[in-house]
Amino acid sequence: MKEIYEYKEMIFSLVRRDLKGRYRNSILGFFWTFLNPLAQLLIYTFAFSVVMPMHIENYYMHLFVALVPWIFFSVCFTGGARAVIDQQELVKKIYFPRHVLPIAFTTSQFVNMLLTFVVVFVVLLISGMGINIKSICFFPLVAVTQYIFALGVTMICSTISVYYRDMEQIFGILSIGLMYASPVVYSLESVPEQYRHILSLNPMTIIIVAYRDILFYKKVPDLHVLFVTFLASLCFMIIGWCIFEKKQRRFVEEF
Amino acid sequence: MNILDDEKIAIRVKNVSKSFRLYFDKGHMLKEKVLFKNRGQFEKHEILNDVSFNIYKGESIGLIGKNGCGKSTALKLLTKIIYPDSGSIEVNGRVASLLELGAGFHPDLSGRDNIYINASIFGLKRKEIDERVNDIIAFSELGEYINNPVRTYSSGMYMRLAFSVAINVKADILLVDEILAVGDASFQEKCLKKIEQIKKEGTTIVLVSHSMDQIQTVCDRCIWINNTKIAAMGDTENVIKEYITWMKHGKETQEEQNTKEQSPVKNHCIDQYTAELIDVNGCDKRIWHAGEKMKIKVLFRYETEACVRVKLEIVRFDGIRVYGETFDNDGTEFAVKKDNQVEFEIENLNLLQGKFSMMLYLTDSLGNTVGSVEPFAEFDVLDSKDRQGMVYLNCRCISGR
Repeated sequence: MKEIYEYKEMIFSLVRRDLKGRYRNSILGFFWTFLNPLAQLLIYTFAFSVVMPMHIENYYMHLFVALVPWIFFSVCFTGGARAVIDQQELVKKIYFPRHVLPIAFTTSQFVNMLLTFVVVFVVLLISGMGINIKSICFFPLVAVTQYIFALGVTMICSTISVYYRDMEQIFGILSIGLMYASPVVYSLESVPEQYRHILSLNPMTIIIVAYRDILFYKKVPDLHVLFVTFLASLCFMIIGWCIFEKKQRRFVEEF
Repeated sequence: MNILDDEKIAIRVKNVSKSFRLYFDKGHMLKEKVLFKNRGQFEKHEILNDVSFNIYKGESIGLIGKNGCGKSTALKLLTKIIYPDSGSIEVNGRVASLLELGAGFHPDLSGRDNIYINASIFGLKRKEIDERVNDIIAFSELGEYINNPVRTYSSGMYMRLAFSVAINVKADILLVDEILAVGDASFQEKCLKKIEQIKKEGTTIVLVSHSMDQIQTVCDRCIWINNTKIAAMGDTENVIKEYITWMKHGKETQEEQNTKEQSPVKNHCIDQYTAELIDVNGCDKRIWHAGEKMKIKVLFRYETEACVRVKLEIVRFDGIRVYGETFDNDGTEFAVKKDNQVEFEIENLNLLQGKFSMMLYLTDSLGNTVGSVEPFAEFDVLDSKDRQGMVYLNCRCISGR
């Protein structure tokens, strides 16, 4: 841990390189970040408010506040699998704590998500739905919980795909399934009572509900549940960390 | 990191063993692992077996050995890129390696941005990079190009930038792996000069190279790894000598077999002889520098008495005859007895870098070879200047317009 702290500059540089390099040469620049969520937002809004109406007022906003964190999670899940493999030239040639790679990947995606949330806030203000200052205070707590959870996911996925290269495809399929197992396009209330607690085993369910409470319903989220989820995410992250720690010794020999 | 008992030790390698899995047909896919259970069989290939050595602060160590002997593996173990199967490696101080130049460079970002990324991968903190960034830019000689994206750089500029970062990390221990084999001659020279300077500043250097010349100029001590073990360790000159003799021996036995099969020569192969290659100081040596004065003394035993001419030949390692001359001693032939001594003198050994061997032939008046000592000596020539080819022609550049 101490060593990783010493390499914090490397994490910052990698994140900066990722963000800067990705947007430097595109005409739309930083707006590419928002294009993906906006496109998905349009598609799902059309599907679930015009074709199969969900009967939720301001459905687009109901969806938007959930879609942004979902995309963050799903990128960590599917793209995170490549966090180590893509840098294999680096891993083969230079020593640095390998943990830096998944941390940098997750952090860079996290920054992307926060930037997209800026758009969410703007839309909230323009549409007249407004922001509740009291509930917004809990936003960082939810975001940090999600970050920790996503870091654990990235650690595990990147480790697995060093050993099994085709797992990335499987993660992609799983990610679609998981999206419908989390209340992204629908609300948790519309799920039949007996299935609701099964869905609640998924930390992403709690996290999305919390985001929605804060931004869409403008109320304080269920702190008790949130705290448990925070601890669960922390445990998950520690498990992921340990798996990564154990397996990273042989990474170079597996490439 | 453990604190080492002895403050003077920079790296302590203790009973380290490492073996790789050599897969016959490695499947990287889950699909393959499920469908073909027999795949992924492997053989253990031992690289290092119970190797121990210490590297002291401020000294330069060379690692030599033939291809695949585990030099690079040893270096990778020292950097912690790979881990030993057993044993321990303790490192005292910051390690920088010239194993990979330009690690993490992003083509779209400017040279300056890339300095920050690259240096941070070496473990430097922001403040430290800020302090060094001007030195790095100055050393790279990139000037105002530093703010252009790296993708617009020529490969030479790219290398200069990458090397400047790596060399300016100011690590306590610098690991170098054959890196000087890349780049043009002037860049190589600059690298070597900088390494010399770093050495003077007290940095510990570990150099892996096939160039005995480089090892000799840089290293104080040398470790020769052979067959998973340390074959020799100690003073550079001695270890290199031992290594070259060993390499020669391997080659000799091969050559002997070849000549025996190919040409059933009628001459007498002289196998009782001693030979000395003596320099101006009267020392017998096997590593020479271009342009030195060489005295060759051969003592040999011949079975019958005869009148012969002697012929000296120098052949390069790849079989090219560099020189050959028959001496008839001012018309008089040389009468060989049982024990003979022949001396030659080469005023300027105008050979460039390479391995050479010397042969001595005895010919009769018709030119038939009646006796031979081949080869009676082998030697290496080192040349510190950037000259290619086989012989030095004493050429000067008079004017250039």
